[in-house]
Amino acid sequence: MRKPRIGVFKFTSCDGCQLSILNLEEDLLKILEFFDLAYFREATDLPLKGQFDIGIVEGSISTDRQRRDVVEMREKVRCLVTIGACATAGGLQALRNWANITDFKERVYPSPDLVSALSTSTPVSENVYVDYELWGCPINNDALSETLVSLLIGKRPAIPIYSLCMDCKVKGVPCILVSQGEPCLGPITRTGCGVLCPSMNRPCYGCFGPREGANIDSLLSHFEEMGLSRKNTLLLLDKMNTYAYRKVSIEDTG
Amino acid sequence: MKIQVRTDSLARVEGEGGFLIDIRDGAIVKLHVRVLEAPRFFESFLRGRCYSDVMDFTARVCGICPVAYQMSSVHAIEKIFGITASEPIRRLRRLMYCGEWIESHALHVYLLNGPDFYGIESAWTSKEYGEIAKKGLRFKKLGNDILAILGGRPIHPVSVRVGGFFKVPHKKSLTLILPDLEKAYNESVAAVRWASTLPFTENTLDAECVSLSHPSEYPMNEGNVVSNSGMNMDFERFYECIEEYQVEYSTALHSGIRREGLIIPYIVGSLSRLNLNHEMLPAEIKNVIRESGISLPLKNSQMSVIARCIEIAYSFHEAMRLIKAYEEPERPYVECEPQPGRAVWITEAPRGMLIHRFELDERGYVRSCSIIPPTSQNLGNIEKDVYHFVQNNVGKQKEYIRKETEKIIRSYDPCISCSTHTVVLK
Repeated sequence: MRKPRIGVFKFTSCDGCQLSILNLEEDLLKILEFFDLAYFREATDLPLKGQFDIGIVEGSISTDRQRRDVVEMREKVRCLVTIGACATAGGLQALRNWANITDFKERVYPSPDLVSALSTSTPVSENVYVDYELWGCPINNDALSETLVSLLIGKRPAIPIYSLCMDCKVKGVPCILVSQGEPCLGPITRTGCGVLCPSMNRPCYGCFGPREGANIDSLLSHFEEMGLSRKNTLLLLDKMNTYAYRKVSIEDTG
Repeated sequence: MKIQVRTDSLARVEGEGGFLIDIRDGAIVKLHVRVLEAPRFFESFLRGRCYSDVMDFTARVCGICPVAYQMSSVHAIEKIFGITASEPIRRLRRLMYCGEWIESHALHVYLLNGPDFYGIESAWTSKEYGEIAKKGLRFKKLGNDILAILGGRPIHPVSVRVGGFFKVPHKKSLTLILPDLEKAYNESVAAVRWASTLPFTENTLDAECVSLSHPSEYPMNEGNVVSNSGMNMDFERFYECIEEYQVEYSTALHSGIRREGLIIPYIVGSLSRLNLNHEMLPAEIKNVIRESGISLPLKNSQMSVIARCIEIAYSFHEAMRLIKAYEEPERPYVECEPQPGRAVWITEAPRGMLIHRFELDERGYVRSCSIIPPTSQNLGNIEKDVYHFVQNNVGKQKEYIRKETEKIIRSYDPCISCSTHTVVLK
């Protein structure tokens, strides 16, 4: 049987999710027995050639060139999987979506005119059709293995979409929101990290983005009742998945 | 006769970059090492954020060295607040850095840089190299294990906070990995010998090596900035001496040291650290260096692989020492009161000095900040290094020049995703 060809593509990002592929470590070598890792600039010199059965995409779309490149890439790929908060939700750099890009450029570069950047950073799915999305900043390695194996044997990847709270209960981690009165994003956030923050006595800060059917406004009003200002409450959403949380929130109230 | 040598998408580096060299009648007329990574504007969106968010944000500059970003940020903020973390916390932070040095160096030595010395395109191209790569992956995994114990996960760990950690590990969870560390340490010592026998292309360069230096240890989180030309400054003074400049072919700002009216390029990273601090290494590792016939200082950037292998061995050694001496602190962090002020802090990221400058208001919200990553600091020297090499090999085949230039750039372990996030305030 021919091994499925994988291409790994990168747009605007920190490279951490691509690194998750290399962090599969011993599993990586096993995966290489079943797949042909035909394009992966971070790890091999192989040039971009031909069509791919699976495209793994890291990074958000934030420049004009990327807007063209992502369409070209889509045409080469049969099944497209986005990995991480940047590719799936626009990333931390999507904070520019609520700001003035000229200001942003001027603050960083002495000659801002030389810098080419769009005024928005958007998820890949706003630019081309995406088959599967892996959330997380960074993604969960098991979810990546699960997705690759599922594609190999032709089944749908089984990745939980319920809230982080469910896993806190399963693990017996005391509720940060109820017992400590800290503004935890767990109730509106997708599980996937292994409840890292609550296990360390800190509130969830939303690495995995909004869960299906998240009731964001209700949680935010609760935070306000706890004494947080409206502004600080909104800032809790404005992190790596800012664009996704804000979108859900707007769609709900709109 | 005009020749153009270029690579638009450099492989086996982190992020997107390339280079372009124009040679006319045997003379270099243009040489650009280019960063093509899209800008992300960290310094802009950090403004107006609370100090407690900073470590989560800056970590996201780089997926390979998030701990470095957290360390430079947390120390800068603690300096502004006038708090000093307790000794056990200081040691845990050092242990965390050991994990990151191991993970990042092993990635570079075995998966990114290693294939260059064997003429192969990736770490899994040949069976022979596959065995070497497997060892590297084992090192990397252990580095990641240390990070996972201390920070929950290796990429963007969640435990670091101003004043200490959200939670510190139990001694037992650390001592459990001691046998693995011991085994890996022995293998890493053998790897130093392996690195010293790799084939290096002749390209000796006298560069200004810059790193931190600490009176009692190999530098990670603290020290003064020193160089092989006798410079010795504290963080604030060094920050004032850096001149950053923008070039039209790159989204990263370049930097150099201002001295006597000139801007001097300099090199940071494992090679500089080793050249300037090898006296601080434990006797065991000094012996290995001597027995392997490695003569210090190293003067060829391609030999950075040796420095990285030595630092991997040192990090295993240091990690074991820290774990054996570890006693769980009574409190994982000290409380802090936000204070207004500004501070510069520098720590040794795997790729070299990572400079953070923060200014906070009276509530502890970021008024302004700047981040100068190691790769931005190295870019000037990378160009100088490539220039030097091309000049001495100008008559050689185009493909040879291209391949060798790629190797030189790669030997700096450029972290191109980071290097775009520099800011100029002066």
